[in-house]
Amino acid sequence: MTYDALEFKPSYPFSVGVELELQILNSRDYNLARDAADLLAVLQKTPHPGEVKPEITESMIELNSSVHYRYDTLAAELERIRDALVDAAGRLNLCIAGGGSHPFHAWTDRRIYPTERFRRILETYGYLAKQFTIFGQHVHIGCPDGDAALYLVHTLARYVPHFIALSASSPFQQGEDTSYHSSRLNTVSAFPLSGQAPFVQSWSEFVQYFNKMKGYAVVESMKDFYWDIRPKPEYGTVEIRVFDTPLTVERAALLAAYVQALARYLLHERPFAPTRDVYLLHNHNRFQACRYGSAGTLIDACTQRHVRIRDDVLATIDAVAHHARDIGAERALHRLASDVAGGREDAAWLREQYRSHGSLNDVARLQSALWMGTLKTADVATGNAS
Amino acid sequence: MSAFDFLPPFPPASSPVLVFGLLLLAGFAGGELAQRVRLPRITGYVVIGLVLGASGLGLVDTRITGEARMFVNLGLGIVLFELGRRLDFRWLWRDRWLAATALSECVLSFFFIYGALAYFGVEPLPATVAAAIGVATSPAVVMLVAQELRAEGQVTERALNLVAINSVVAFVLAAMLLSWLHHEYRAGWLTMILHPAYLLGASLLTGYLASGATIVLARAIGKHEERQLVMLLAMIVLAVGCAAALELSVMLTLLAFGVASRNLDRSHHLMQVDVSRVGQIFFVVLFVVTGALLDVRDLFAGGALALVYIAARFIGKSIGVLSLAHLSGIRAGSGGLLCLALTPMSGLAFEMMQRTTQVYPEFGSTLAPMVMSAVLLLELAGPIAVQFALRKAGEAQGEAK
Repeated sequence: MTYDALEFKPSYPFSVGVELELQILNSRDYNLARDAADLLAVLQKTPHPGEVKPEITESMIELNSSVHYRYDTLAAELERIRDALVDAAGRLNLCIAGGGSHPFHAWTDRRIYPTERFRRILETYGYLAKQFTIFGQHVHIGCPDGDAALYLVHTLARYVPHFIALSASSPFQQGEDTSYHSSRLNTVSAFPLSGQAPFVQSWSEFVQYFNKMKGYAVVESMKDFYWDIRPKPEYGTVEIRVFDTPLTVERAALLAAYVQALARYLLHERPFAPTRDVYLLHNHNRFQACRYGSAGTLIDACTQRHVRIRDDVLATIDAVAHHARDIGAERALHRLASDVAGGREDAAWLREQYRSHGSLNDVARLQSALWMGTLKTADVATGNAS
Repeated sequence: MSAFDFLPPFPPASSPVLVFGLLLLAGFAGGELAQRVRLPRITGYVVIGLVLGASGLGLVDTRITGEARMFVNLGLGIVLFELGRRLDFRWLWRDRWLAATALSECVLSFFFIYGALAYFGVEPLPATVAAAIGVATSPAVVMLVAQELRAEGQVTERALNLVAINSVVAFVLAAMLLSWLHHEYRAGWLTMILHPAYLLGASLLTGYLASGATIVLARAIGKHEERQLVMLLAMIVLAVGCAAALELSVMLTLLAFGVASRNLDRSHHLMQVDVSRVGQIFFVVLFVVTGALLDVRDLFAGGALALVYIAARFIGKSIGVLSLAHLSGIRAGSGGLLCLALTPMSGLAFEMMQRTTQVYPEFGSTLAPMVMSAVLLLELAGPIAVQFALRKAGEAQGEAK
C-alpha cells in the first residue's frame, strides 16, 4: 500500500456510524446456530436500510447503520434494521441476540464463514479465530483530517473504561460465569495485533509507522490492527471497538450518542493534551472496567486521581451536555446518566436472569427476546435492562 | 438329585435381555462396517438385520423379534418424542409457505401414489392404504442420520418439521382408512367409527397428558439437567408402556407427547435435555429388527410394483416441495436436497400393516409384498439419500458449505 492509499479521506466532523456484531441462535435450545448464509440470503430479498454482512463464523452477523448526524435518526434507523432482521430470522426460525458473548456455546463447534479473508484469519490465528465468536459494537466518528483523527484516538483512549463499563454484557462464556462484566475483551487481547495505536500525533508520522509495519510484513492493511481505537482513513473516521454489543439497539444508539457528544467536546474544546501516560495506565483502567463494570476504579493520567468509573461517566455526561444538545442527544444522555446512576447494566441483568431462571439456555433465550423486542415483562427477573 | 442340578439347562433359555444384547452387538458391528465405507450407520444396522433375519440366516425369527418388541418400541418412542419436540407451530405461522409446502407434499404424494397404483390395476382400498402409508417419511431415519452427522441448518430443520407433519397426516389418514376397511369387511358401524376415533383420540390424549405431567414435574425439579433427563426418560418409557398396553399407536402417542411438550411449555420449565444419547442403544436394535422383519423374497412378488410406488411417491413429494420451496426462506438448490431428505419410508408401514393384518389377515397379505418391498429398498437407500442431502447442504458438522 502506498502513501496515497492510506490517505485520510476527510468526512463530515462528528458524523456517526454504528456496526453491531450479533448472535444467531436456534429457537430450540438457544445455542448458536450456523445459518448466517441463509439469513443473509433472505435479507437480500427484503428491502431494509443500512447493511447486513457476514462475520468470522457462521453464527454471527454484522449490522451496519448508514452515516448519521443526529441521535434520533440513528436510533430510528437501527430500530428499522433490527425489525427487518427479526422478520427475516423469524422466517428461518432463528433468533437474534445482542450481548458481547453467547453464554454457553462451545467454540469448538464454530465454523468459519467461507470467505477468503476469514479463511486466512483461521490459518493465521488457529483456534483464536473460532474463539473470536464474540460480539462487539463499533462506533465510527467522522473527522475533518488525519491529525484531528489522531488527536481523537489519543484523547478518547482516556475514556475507554467508560465505553467498556457502559456496554459490558459478556459475563458468561462457554457455560461459566467469568466473574467479569466484559469477558469479551480478554478474548480480543489474545490477538498479537490488539492493543493501542502508536503514540504519534500527526498523520504523516502515522503513515510512516504503518508503512514500516507493512514493510516488515506484519500487516497488509489497517484491518489487521485490532486496536481498541483506530483511525479508519478510507472512511475518514476514528473507530472505537471496545464496546460489547449491548442487549438492545436502543442502548447501542445511546452509546453512539455518548461518543459523538464526547468527540465533539474533545475536538472543540481540546480540554487536555494527549499524553503517553494514558497508555501507561491503559491496561490497568481497562481491566478495572472489564472486571467490575462501572463500579471499577480508573486512574486519570492528567490528575493522577483515582475515581470510580460511574462517577467519572456522570461527570463527563455533564461536561459534554451542550454538545449533546447540538446533536439532538440531550434526552438520550439524560437517560444514559440515569441508567448509570441507577446501576442498570446489561451484565447485571444477564446475571439476574441466570439467578432467577437457573439455566444459561434461559439467559440466551431472554437475551434474544430482549433484543428482538418480544420480551414479555412477566418473564423477566427485573425489568431494568438498558 | 444330581450334583449338577445347579447348572442351567442346555442350551440356556433365551431372554429378552439376552436377545437385546446380541442384537445390539451385531448391529453395532454392522454400523462400524458401514462407517468405514462412509455409509450411514443405519444402513449397516439394517443390513445386519437382513443377514440375520428371514432373508438371510434366519437366526432372528418372529419369536426373537417379538422378544425385542419392547426395545423397538422404546427406540421408536424416543425418536418420535424428539421429532415432536422439533415441530414448532410458531415457525409454521411465521413462514406460512413452509406450512403450505408441508401440506402440498402430503397431498401430492398421496394422490400420485394412488394414481400410479390405480393405473397398474391395484384395487382402490389397498391403493389408498398404500398411498396413506407412503405419505409418511421415516422419522427415525431422518432424525438419526441428522444426529449422526450432527447436522444443523435450514435443510435439516425443515426436513424434520416436514417429517413430523407428514407423519401426523399419515397417521390420521391411516386411522380414517380403518373405517373404510371395517366397512369393506362388513364390521358394524359402531366399530367403523369407534376404532379410528379411539386410535387417534386416545393416542393424542395420552401424549397430551404425558406432556402435562412432564411439564409439572420439570417445574418441581427445577433446572437440573441430570435430574430432568432421568424424569423425562421415565415419562417416555411410561408413555410407550401406556400406548402399548392400551393398543394405541406408540408412534402417534409419543409424537403428540413431543409436540405438546415443546408447544405447551410456555414458561420453559422443561430443559432441552438430550434423550437420544441414551436412546442410541434402542435405535440400533430398532433398525436391526426392521432389517430382520423384511423379507427379500417379497421383492419377487412385489418388486416391480414397489418401484412404481417409490417413483410415484418421490415425484409427488418433489413436486410438492419444489413448487413452493422458493417462496419460503430457503436458498436456491436447497429445495432439491429437501426432497431427497424426505425419501426414507416410515416404520409406520409396519405398524399399519400389522394392525390391518391383525384385524383382516387376507387384506394384509394382498398389500404386504408391494409395501414391504418398497420399505426394504428405501431402508437401504433412504439413509444414504438423507446423508447425501445433508452433506451436500453443508449442514453436517465439520464440513464447510
